[in-house]
Amino acid sequence: MRTFVLFLSICAVGFFLLSCEKEFIPEVANQPDQIVVEGYIEAGPSSLPPYIILTKTLPFFSAIGRETLNEIFLRDAQVSVEVDGESYEFEEICWTELDAAQRELLQQVLGQFGNIDDSVDFEFCLYIDPSFRLQGEVGKTYSLRIQTAEGQELRAQTSIPPHVGLDSLRFKVPAGEVPDTLKELRAFISDPSPQIDFYRYFTSTNGSPFLAPLGSVADDKLFDGQSFEFPLPQAETFDAEVDEFFGLYRVGDTVDIKWANIDQPHFDFWNTLEFNVFNQGPFSNYTRIQTNVEGGLGIWGGYSISFYTIVVE
Amino acid sequence: MTMERFLALACFLLVPILVDAQNKFTLSGYIKDQNSGETLLGANIYVKDDPLKGCSSNAYGFYSLTLPEGEYLVIFSYLGYADKELPIKLTANQRLTVELKEGITIQEVIVTADDPDKNVESTEMGKVDLQMDRIKQLPALLGEVDILKTIQLLPGVMSSGEGTAGFYVRGGGPDQNLVLLDEAVVYNSGHMLGFFSVFNADAIKNTTLIKGGMPAYYGGRLSSVVDVQMKEGNDKRYAAEGGIGLIASRLTVEGPIQKERSSFIFSGRRTYIFDLGGWALNGSDFEGTNYYFYDLNAKVNHRFSDKDRLYLSTYFGRDVLNFNTVTRGFNFRLPYGNATATLRWNHLFSDRLFMNVSAIYNDYDFSFKGEQDDFTFNVQSGVRDYNAKVDFDYYPNSNHNIKFGVNYTYHKLTPNVAQATSGEEEFTNGLRPKYANETAIYIQDDIRMGGRWKVNVGLRASMFTQLGPYTSPFTGREFEKGEPVVTYTGLEPRVSAKFTLDKQSSLKAGITYGKQYLHLVSNSTSTLPTDVWVPSTELVKPQTGIQYAVGYFRNFKENAYESSIEVYYKDLQNQLDYGESYVNDIAADVESGFVFGSGRSFGAEFFLKKNTGALNGWVGYTLSKTDRQFPDIRNGERFPARFDRRHDLSVVANYELNPKWRFGAVFVYGTGNTFTPLRNLYFIEQNLTVNYGDRNSARLQAYHRLDLSATLTPKPNKDRAFQSSWTFSVYNAYNRFNTFFIFYDTETDEAAGTASARAVKFALFPAIPTVTWNFSWNQGKKDQNNGSF
Repeated sequence: MRTFVLFLSICAVGFFLLSCEKEFIPEVANQPDQIVVEGYIEAGPSSLPPYIILTKTLPFFSAIGRETLNEIFLRDAQVSVEVDGESYEFEEICWTELDAAQRELLQQVLGQFGNIDDSVDFEFCLYIDPSFRLQGEVGKTYSLRIQTAEGQELRAQTSIPPHVGLDSLRFKVPAGEVPDTLKELRAFISDPSPQIDFYRYFTSTNGSPFLAPLGSVADDKLFDGQSFEFPLPQAETFDAEVDEFFGLYRVGDTVDIKWANIDQPHFDFWNTLEFNVFNQGPFSNYTRIQTNVEGGLGIWGGYSISFYTIVVE
Repeated sequence: MTMERFLALACFLLVPILVDAQNKFTLSGYIKDQNSGETLLGANIYVKDDPLKGCSSNAYGFYSLTLPEGEYLVIFSYLGYADKELPIKLTANQRLTVELKEGITIQEVIVTADDPDKNVESTEMGKVDLQMDRIKQLPALLGEVDILKTIQLLPGVMSSGEGTAGFYVRGGGPDQNLVLLDEAVVYNSGHMLGFFSVFNADAIKNTTLIKGGMPAYYGGRLSSVVDVQMKEGNDKRYAAEGGIGLIASRLTVEGPIQKERSSFIFSGRRTYIFDLGGWALNGSDFEGTNYYFYDLNAKVNHRFSDKDRLYLSTYFGRDVLNFNTVTRGFNFRLPYGNATATLRWNHLFSDRLFMNVSAIYNDYDFSFKGEQDDFTFNVQSGVRDYNAKVDFDYYPNSNHNIKFGVNYTYHKLTPNVAQATSGEEEFTNGLRPKYANETAIYIQDDIRMGGRWKVNVGLRASMFTQLGPYTSPFTGREFEKGEPVVTYTGLEPRVSAKFTLDKQSSLKAGITYGKQYLHLVSNSTSTLPTDVWVPSTELVKPQTGIQYAVGYFRNFKENAYESSIEVYYKDLQNQLDYGESYVNDIAADVESGFVFGSGRSFGAEFFLKKNTGALNGWVGYTLSKTDRQFPDIRNGERFPARFDRRHDLSVVANYELNPKWRFGAVFVYGTGNTFTPLRNLYFIEQNLTVNYGDRNSARLQAYHRLDLSATLTPKPNKDRAFQSSWTFSVYNAYNRFNTFFIFYDTETDEAAGTASARAVKFALFPAIPTVTWNFSWNQGKKDQNNGSF
């Protein structure tokens, strides 16, 4: 159905051409800030240690700078994760409070955030397990509990499902009239049956931070138990300009794929978030992003992961 | 038990008729247009000295008036036509077909002081007949005359969005409108994402809108009926009409097959704007992309005798989008549309008993076929009905007009059945069509009780059974082909009454209860071709609705003006909507995304219409409130429906300056539509994400628009065989910026540590001027003019 969404998007573009537009500042309802949880726990080789980012929602703005962004982090919360009856207390660390050695370590660990440049005054706070004892394991369920400095409590639960890796990856000449410097990435998978599997993937080029594309998640309702090849478009940021070569890879680049299985609430979160991005315009309605966080917004998500590296040729 | 009650009521209705055994005779026949031989429905036939003794012609132009033996002056009248006054000596049953002449100008129509105006006299509430000649004089978007857009100008009927043919009636959902074309249900009445309706104005004779007090004859929808009748074809002489417009052209030909016994009409319309514009895409990445729609209407009829007449009418229309990208080798073809066929047999058992038997087929089909490289993707959905019905009109005497009948439909509803291939591998979502039987019997009687009271009582008994093959999602049970899965029944009583205050005014009140077994939920601001009709199932219960209405009707100046005030309250149960986190999932049965709740709507409608004179038209104003309540939306609190509109005003005017120039104007004003506003923004994976507030908790600015038209008839001699005219119109004449939708655009710059968000309002149509050339040719007039063409 994504294709039909594409069709509607094309129609929408047609209407954009026909129609006239006016920018406006929406009325901001006088509603309190909400707390946003973004936390992950991974299982698999080269997995990241679990971490949780707590931020606050922002009222509508036209533009904000670094100073405002620095203030969105929710500080001084008590964060813990419980698994198998054992609780792990997380501690807050902030970029500006770390020394050079700690920063280097953190950058290695949290490479996916990239662009953290210690030459600028950029604040970035997250909560980690300082003991590094907590590691994600397939089949386990992790309960997150957050108590804010103001006494607000948030809870969430996630599990790490079994991993279903890719069988192979290859580049091929894309259909149509595409320059020969660009290639399409194809992956081959054998989806197991009868379990319901939920997948998500990220791409990285030449060591850049991993990005998930718009359309990063899939369930296996349409292909349960089947073995087949499918395209893996290159991820770009949500706000990137879409051109006719969208999703293709440049010959000579080294591409890393992070391939993950997630549980259903985790899938629902990304699925609704991505549909929310698509689902605007004259023929659409809003979609409320389905969170698994009680008392807040966002996601506490488990991943079972594998990595693949391939050179574009 | 249900059937026993039904029979008891039927006996109650029939007893007073059976005991009425005076020496009476019946005057019956057909009312026709003198020029074309088209039957006229809803014409009035009444005794001049006693207007209470009267009747109306039915949907096939048949009338039957039973009176005591005697001599009468009987008047035959129809709006826009000259009245005919005939002396009748009724000493035996008499068959009389009357031909009325269309008024040369409106002023020439004879309006007698005693004319019991239908508006005041009938028991009907919320019913409007729209004649095509009036509709054609109004300004139209891009020159395409559209009956569904015209009915939006009536009080109680709301447009579903800028320029669209979709509509909501008295707070009901878009699926609660029963749209019929020669009795066949039209499941998707829009072309081009709803901007144009499927009804080609040249092929249409009459359109009836019923927005409240739906007679028992109609069923299956809760809010309204739009009953569109195709022309039968001129049975006296050959004629043609057509037009060349900005985006489409039309041609209609009609004529006798056997003079005054059988006739045909064939009508076609096709868009070409995008074909003409196709050259602009040559050499671009979208070369080969094309869009068009077309409609074909055809109808033949034959009168075998005074008692038997056969009609066969068909409609076929398609929208076709071919999309192609050269660079990526991606293309898809997206055709969708309706096909209907109606075979009808009219039979007169006696002068008082008229029967119509119909066999109806209708099909709405949507398909999408896309491919890129070794990947193909097909989706199909639609509705197909096989319908048989028998309807009787019984006119025992001038105090009763009884209709009764039975209606059976076999439904096949295809959800989004998807298939895909990737190389050798095939995929399917495994969804199967759903099947159902829908049966109804009904009886209704329009009863005159003395001089002041008139009551219309009706009862419809309906039964709906979902049939296998089907697998229960609850129990996993497999149902065989034709095996009943679940059955719903309903008794649907309706009653309305009129009390005459004086010759010019009356009070009316009505209660209508109904059930609806088929549903459509749209996740967009208007209905789309992709929206899927679903049957009532184990999960989805039938929708029910009850409407109470009270009205005051008054005419002025010998019926030159008619006015009404109607107040209504509507309560809707088992309403459907999508949940707040709904995602369009092709792999899942659409009903899994539904949530269930209730709705209500109440309002007051004011209507003032001027029927005659060089300046005619109407003003309609609606004050209303419509809300919904769903446990799964906004935590169960009431919220305004998407189409809740506090104020809605329409002003429609036609002015005939002289025979050469006619002008039309339409002004509309409506409270802004509700929408779900942004509550705040937040970051996830460093992307800014939009978090929405409560559903429909904000409103767009008020909507208003003025459309103007001028029609020039260079040689306005009505007796000429060939006539042509130019219509110049401007849509949105003062270029009002009416917000069509809102778009949020967010951007983050990680390197700079900044982010921005934009909220943008889009308006769809600026001032759009259009010119259309129309023509008509009528062989008969040429003959009358001794070949002066």
